[in-house]
Amino acid sequence: MTRLRALGWMALAVMAGAGIVALLPHVLGTTVVGDDVERPLGENEMQRLAQAGGYVARVADCYACHTVKGGGAWAGGMPFKTPLGTIYSTNISPDKQFGIGTWTRAEFHRAVRDGIGRNGRPLYPAMPYTSYRKMTPEDVDGLYAYFMTRQPVAVENRRNGLPFPFNIREFVAVWNFLNLGHGGFKEDPSRSPVWNRGRYIVDAVAHCGECHTPRNSLMAMETDKYLKGAVIEGLEAPDITKEGLTRMGFDPQSLVRFMKTGLSAQGAAANQMLEVVHFSTQYMRDEDLGAMAAYLFDLDEMPDLASPPPAPAPVPVPAAIASSAQTTYANLCAGCHGPRGRGIPGVVVPLATNASLRLASPRNLIHAVLHGIPAQSFPGRERMQPMPGFADVLDDQAVADLANWLRARWGGQKPAVTAADVAKQRPGAVQTE
Amino acid sequence: MTLSTKPLSLTVNGHAVGPIAVPEGLMMLDFLHEYLNLTGSRMGCGQGICHACVVVVADEDGSLREMPTCITGAHWFNGKQVQTIEGHASYDGDGNLVGLSPVQQAFIEHFAFQCGYCTPGFVNGATVLIDQLKRKPVPRAELESTIVAALDKHICRCTGYVRYLEAVRDLVLKTPGLVIG
Repeated sequence: MTRLRALGWMALAVMAGAGIVALLPHVLGTTVVGDDVERPLGENEMQRLAQAGGYVARVADCYACHTVKGGGAWAGGMPFKTPLGTIYSTNISPDKQFGIGTWTRAEFHRAVRDGIGRNGRPLYPAMPYTSYRKMTPEDVDGLYAYFMTRQPVAVENRRNGLPFPFNIREFVAVWNFLNLGHGGFKEDPSRSPVWNRGRYIVDAVAHCGECHTPRNSLMAMETDKYLKGAVIEGLEAPDITKEGLTRMGFDPQSLVRFMKTGLSAQGAAANQMLEVVHFSTQYMRDEDLGAMAAYLFDLDEMPDLASPPPAPAPVPVPAAIASSAQTTYANLCAGCHGPRGRGIPGVVVPLATNASLRLASPRNLIHAVLHGIPAQSFPGRERMQPMPGFADVLDDQAVADLANWLRARWGGQKPAVTAADVAKQRPGAVQTE
Repeated sequence: MTLSTKPLSLTVNGHAVGPIAVPEGLMMLDFLHEYLNLTGSRMGCGQGICHACVVVVADEDGSLREMPTCITGAHWFNGKQVQTIEGHASYDGDGNLVGLSPVQQAFIEHFAFQCGYCTPGFVNGATVLIDQLKRKPVPRAELESTIVAALDKHICRCTGYVRYLEAVRDLVLKTPGLVIG
């Protein structure tokens, strides 16, 4: 009898706990979505909005995350390996069974801007609603109309690979309460329309900060390090503040060219940024790319003339490092990048002006030397040949020497790379970050 | 402009070469062609992609690897054992051909070449694959994918891949100990 009573109390406690957890989103939730979106959009409105929404979807880069390679458009299934487990993007095609075909306008708004799914349960913040929260209702309406006019794809959503307790979505409500800003986008009346448009795209629609702003221990963006660069899946998404961009050798014009084509004197877009160019920025209007560049360089208008920053002054390196690196460079790098690091236009990126050598972190350079870079296609039918990886040809010290010499010679960076730094990035090495 | 040279010593097809003063930054392909008159290694893409120019290099443990010569400096090969396409067949003291290597023989039997420009690279690539299989045989079910993975990077503009692959598959299956099961 006593045991039965104890079991009863336990069951009651579990039910009460579950009830409290289920209530969390409602208790802690704050919305930026107005009541006016409860009104369904008319057919004419949907048609008009869908056209504009297609552009918004491209700027927001929805396709990159919601279409797995080889899968149906907008059918989701793209895996995101987070430190907490794997999350799969969902089907946002208008399929009525697995997609958003039966979602109302209001439900869509709450998902995009509040991070609350149709069933009232929170979305995981892998979906960048923290940034989309700042999108205008008009742009979100555009997205809704656009997705509802796509081809329905009947693909079931994949179950996330998150361990307990991260598989309890309701706890995201606590995260939202702690980390989600309460307001939408507000223009700065002291700045130009160009600057404000750039900020809106960077912060809201294009959600640049999701990759380029470091995250704290709660995986929230560190606002005091806004756009200062972060490590994503083992690679550096660089500092894209005015200082960071200048350090990499960009000026507003070359940044626009890089976003439009994926190519510039500073190197070629690679990895996730190449996807951003491929699916998003290449399609953006020149004035929007210009607005982004103006905002990132904190300018109220795009300058008429290009003003590339001066190349960094070379830094001396110890003779032993220089000797080892020069030999490696002549033997394994100069065949493609040229003895003076000029590269081959349209085939091999230059190193003498390459942003990877100028970054404070040597991570991306070491990664490229060890793992190589696959052949890449760029807008306008440009292609870059594959770069072989040298993990099985060079030992850790040789890679460290090479990285130090390259960074000192063309990047103006002090030689601080150690063999241990290289070892951490070898294939199969345990990633500590 | 003066060329800075460095002494280079290596073994090519079993023969010691050097020390010889070779310009720094000279690509291995040019060294083979211009210094040693070994012109069998082909300049294809010049970018390390087509693998027409690869030679076989023995690592310290004796295992073989392919190395492109169009983008690799001659000095990278300093002290190393290198085999080019000229080093596969056997010759007697008078320079007469005595026999082909098993890979060459298999290619002949399968007529595994068309214009033949890429063939030196394929012969070297297949030789490395046979060496790897001797060290680590693969299950029968994985043989096809193993051959494709090994030779996939070799480009043949005549698209003679089928016969290249058939020749290598036949040789692997005929050579004891390369396949499990």
